[in-house]
Amino acid sequence: MVATYAPIVLLFLLASVVTMVMFAAGHFLGPKNPTAEKMMPFECGADSAGAKHTKLSVKFYLTAILFVVFDIEAIFVYPWAVTFREQGWVGFVTMLSFLAVLVVGLIYCWKKGALEWER
Amino acid sequence: MGVYIALSPLLILVLGGCGLMLAEAFGRFSEDGGDEGPSSELSLGSAVCLLAAALMAMGLWIKGPETIEGFQKVAPYLILDRFTLFFTMVTCLGGALASLLAGGYLPEHKLDRGEFYSLLMFSTIGCVVLAASGDLLSLFLGLETMSLGVYALTGFRRGSTRSTEAALKYFLLGSFAAALLLYGGALLYGATGHTDLVGIGKALAADQGLPWPMVIFGFAMILVGLAFKVSAVPFHMWAPDAYEGAPTPAMTFMAVAVKSAAFAMMLRLLVHSFSSPGFTSWGSGWPPVLAFLAVLSMTVANLVAGRQESVKRMLAYSSVAHAGYVLVGVVSMTRLGDEAQASVLLYLLAYTVSTAGALGSLILIGSRGAEAVSYEDLAGIGRRHPAAALAMSFFLLSLAGVPPSAGFFAKMYVFRGAIGAGYYWLAIIGLLNSVLGAYYYLRVMVYMYMREPAPGAPVAVPMRSGLVTAALVLSALFVIVLGVLPGSGLSMALQAVARG
Repeated sequence: MVATYAPIVLLFLLASVVTMVMFAAGHFLGPKNPTAEKMMPFECGADSAGAKHTKLSVKFYLTAILFVVFDIEAIFVYPWAVTFREQGWVGFVTMLSFLAVLVVGLIYCWKKGALEWER
Repeated sequence: MGVYIALSPLLILVLGGCGLMLAEAFGRFSEDGGDEGPSSELSLGSAVCLLAAALMAMGLWIKGPETIEGFQKVAPYLILDRFTLFFTMVTCLGGALASLLAGGYLPEHKLDRGEFYSLLMFSTIGCVVLAASGDLLSLFLGLETMSLGVYALTGFRRGSTRSTEAALKYFLLGSFAAALLLYGGALLYGATGHTDLVGIGKALAADQGLPWPMVIFGFAMILVGLAFKVSAVPFHMWAPDAYEGAPTPAMTFMAVAVKSAAFAMMLRLLVHSFSSPGFTSWGSGWPPVLAFLAVLSMTVANLVAGRQESVKRMLAYSSVAHAGYVLVGVVSMTRLGDEAQASVLLYLLAYTVSTAGALGSLILIGSRGAEAVSYEDLAGIGRRHPAAALAMSFFLLSLAGVPPSAGFFAKMYVFRGAIGAGYYWLAIIGLLNSVLGAYYYLRVMVYMYMREPAPGAPVAVPMRSGLVTAALVLSALFVIVLGVLPGSGLSMALQAVARG
């Protein structure tokens, strides 16, 4: 067991050592010349304004959740497609009913207006 | 083909849930939840679907699930035996009562959105799958299907911070418990190489070079996860807040169907996987752990329930206390076997109808803008609205265990089981706790019949709703039938737990 996992442990160790060395090298070797301008927070060149914790529109979450649902669908469909012939009609009908449930979900989202960005 | 007949209660729920979802999306219901809300139709629809599933389970019960060709096709992922059918009936009944109550409650309190009913039905599917699953994988799927719906139901009152807080608490602690269960299951799988519960049980009984620290750690994780899910003290902290913040019909569903399904999961795990002598002996197994949880749950919950000012919160603590009584039955199972397990099943059925009735009466007593919550709200209801007060008293007496009600016989069988198993001290502590419990149930009646509302205080006006009344009549019927014919209920429960 130790022999099997030793390479992974080695990889973790190596990765952390390399990262730490890189950060440390940048910190100690890099030239430092802090001016007032440099110490200002910046957002893509523009002055930052407003509070740190702004409210995000719930639409982003909605889109993310819808993405997850149909992403998972793809995960299930792939292995099914690989063994499509072996599974025969039983597999076909099973997948069809699974997709039918998802289509019901899609219709529901559509009718509820979850797919409309501007509302 | 036979397997679809055996699965028909689940299929009815799935099709019904999807149908309700589409009906709600396509229906012309007003968005802001005015008087034209979707509730009455959808509530009736979901209640019909849930009762149809329960009746289908009843039909399968009468025919005998083992006579149906191909019923074993889905085993061990779903075990379609009488145990499953019993819990299908209990959880579907609980779901139907909750959806009928919601049909009255949601429009009255301006929460009238149709998602409630499809979420409730999908949750019930999870409950049924949980009771049926004989494999860790389907068990977890069922658990999550059940819980996700209930998290959303808890936060259904979106504008209220109480409700959101309750939903968040429930979600975080529920996921925590699910993670513990999952971790425990993973360790057991690692130790035994099986995910099906019977296979795990056989591997544990055979004990051929098992890594015991791993098994014991995994088992402890599973026990803690289960204790969270059935809200046994000291893992009950989420329950009162989650129950109180949730809309009352959602609380009904949580206290009734979700708890029954969690106990079904517990029984399946303990009976199938952890029933070898090493696990069931008092010295080295789970009985002392569960007995400790039972004593704590009963005592702490009853003491705290007596000090509550809110009737809803009192009922939440009472639900924790009832989990304690059920755990007494689970502990007796190690020595008495089927008889004690049957008493657990009967207790859950009696508890389901009594709690749903009590919460339904609480819903009936409140009306728009003045939900009856505290004891003061109930003052004088007995004189002004005798019918509502009578319903409330009836179900509270059943919860307190006053003969001849369903609650009395349920308690009696559980305590008789404890005595039969030789756990006299557990039975005595249980009896003392029932007396303690009677105090706060009777206190509600004292307020209803012997107090008048303080001058100037808002007076609760009961709402009128045929759906709520129907739910109350249905649960009262069950309470009376189980109270008059407890033997038939017990023999049914005995059939459910008999290994076929």
